Amino acid sequence: MSTPIVEVRGLSKLFHGGVLAVDDLSFAVAQGEVCGLLGPNGAGKTTCLRVLLGLIHPTKGDAFLFGERVHPSSPLLGRVGALIESAAFVPHLTGMTNLKLWWESGGAKLRDADLDGALAIAGLGDAINRKVKTYSQGMRQRLGLARVLLGRPEVLVLDEPTNGLDPGEMREVRQLVRRVADEGATVLLSSHILAEVEQVCTHAVVMDKGRLVAASTVDDLVSSSGSVYLEVDDVAAAERVLRELTIVQRVQVEPPGLTVGMNGGKRSELVAALVRAGVGVETVMVRRRLEDAFLNLVEGDE
Amino acid sequence: MGVVRTETVKTTRRLRTYISFGVVIVIPIIMTIALKANPPDQPQGGGGGGLFFLSARFSGLVLPAAALALMSSFLLIIIVAIFGGDAMASDASWGNLRFVLMRPIGRVKLLFAKLGVAAFVSWAAVFTVVLVGLVAGAIVFGWKGLDAPHFENGHFTVIHQSVADLLWHLVIATAYVSWMLTGLVAFTFLLSCVTDSPLAAMGTGVGLYITSQILDAIEPLGSLRYVLPTHYFDAWRDLIFQGHPTSDMARGALLMIGYVLLFTGVSVWWFRRKDILT
Repeated sequence: MSTPIVEVRGLSKLFHGGVLAVDDLSFAVAQGEVCGLLGPNGAGKTTCLRVLLGLIHPTKGDAFLFGERVHPSSPLLGRVGALIESAAFVPHLTGMTNLKLWWESGGAKLRDADLDGALAIAGLGDAINRKVKTYSQGMRQRLGLARVLLGRPEVLVLDEPTNGLDPGEMREVRQLVRRVADEGATVLLSSHILAEVEQVCTHAVVMDKGRLVAASTVDDLVSSSGSVYLEVDDVAAAERVLRELTIVQRVQVEPPGLTVGMNGGKRSELVAALVRAGVGVETVMVRRRLEDAFLNLVEGDE
Repeated sequence: MGVVRTETVKTTRRLRTYISFGVVIVIPIIMTIALKANPPDQPQGGGGGGLFFLSARFSGLVLPAAALALMSSFLLIIIVAIFGGDAMASDASWGNLRFVLMRPIGRVKLLFAKLGVAAFVSWAAVFTVVLVGLVAGAIVFGWKGLDAPHFENGHFTVIHQSVADLLWHLVIATAYVSWMLTGLVAFTFLLSCVTDSPLAAMGTGVGLYITSQILDAIEPLGSLRYVLPTHYFDAWRDLIFQGHPTSDMARGALLMIGYVLLFTGVSVWWFRRKDILT
């Protein structure tokens, strides 16, 4: 088996004050994969990414890039393009100056950077020569993505990359991630937008409370979701009945029906219980969405 | 060199840098005009620079020393604290520090680049005060030597200093004040590494300076005062009126080596192990 491009092994991070942000986390991302890092707020995703980039010292365990242990200011970081949380710049300098200085600060020559490609991605036109403090959130985010791609990175680490973008820009970013991946880059992408992960990612790692909940291909996760959508004539009564069943993990009201997360059992048992309680069932439909799989995994972990 | 260039551009293109240098240029000019318009006839006021003001009437080459005496008592302290306190914390407060450190830049290398630029800009501010004072003083009060009154061991003497002597003593005074302020740069820089807040770093640095001055004024503290960072700060003033460097200047310079090494060492230790969370 080839060496994973990105790997965390037994990673834990305990912050001052006793907050255990990451707890014995292990996963790996192979060459060319687009891996989504999923988890509710506070799951430890950003902490994990920061360790991977040498920004945070792990309490235990290690992070690896290209098979080598990552440490602050590791030369391996020159092969990585990263956007952690929202893009930030030196506000009193122009977008262009920010890009150039950031690149040169690493000791690289400007001629080695893909400046034209980055500027095309930023799509800021003449605004590239304006001070960054005059930019909107979306413009900063686009400039941030341009900065990520300046060095034609082999690995992209993106934390909520579509933050602050409008729907059209979000779509462009997703296409961009896919294109970069198609060109051979490995991508680790953290996002709250599950539909985005479903569209872009080939693999997913699900975290909750700092721990690994699942790691698989997106297709496998979705097909194992075990969610059922039921359209009924009395949603409130159906919700009461379903919540009492042991095979039901969660119930989410979605008028005119409900989505039911199951942990085992048969769909027919749900229908039988509803009919016995006098609730008419109009439709039973198997749901295969990442959102349902994610909620089942995370709520099942509680 | 890339990181040094980057840090230099970040610092020198800031509005607060322009304002700081505007202040150190304008004040010696205002001082010169005021002294010409209302020449003092006795050494009074001037933030401890009264004797300098009086002497500046007789030689324009004393005016830069007067400007240095006036401004080093507070204004240069504020300016230097801004440069030191801003150096690391401004990047952190913008959220940009994490992106800087995502480049393969050694943390210690980045730290020394930032500290070096902060120190260099601070020295440049001191040099500007002296240079502007020299030009303005020479134009208004003349390019000539000084007969400085000196009272020692019950005898009153006059110490003559030629133009060359005064210029040489100005060079030494500029270097001394710059070096003594480097301790403050290093301290505010340490705070800048710790707090992530430029204002907090600057304010605490100025607070330390004021506290040190207050403690230095408590004579019953005895020899403890000799290790305070501000104790020998004004020792350079004797250069102009005694005509030679004093042993206090040597002690002050040596003491500050200790402080600069201490604060820089703690900054390195802290920043190397710091988790970048902003």
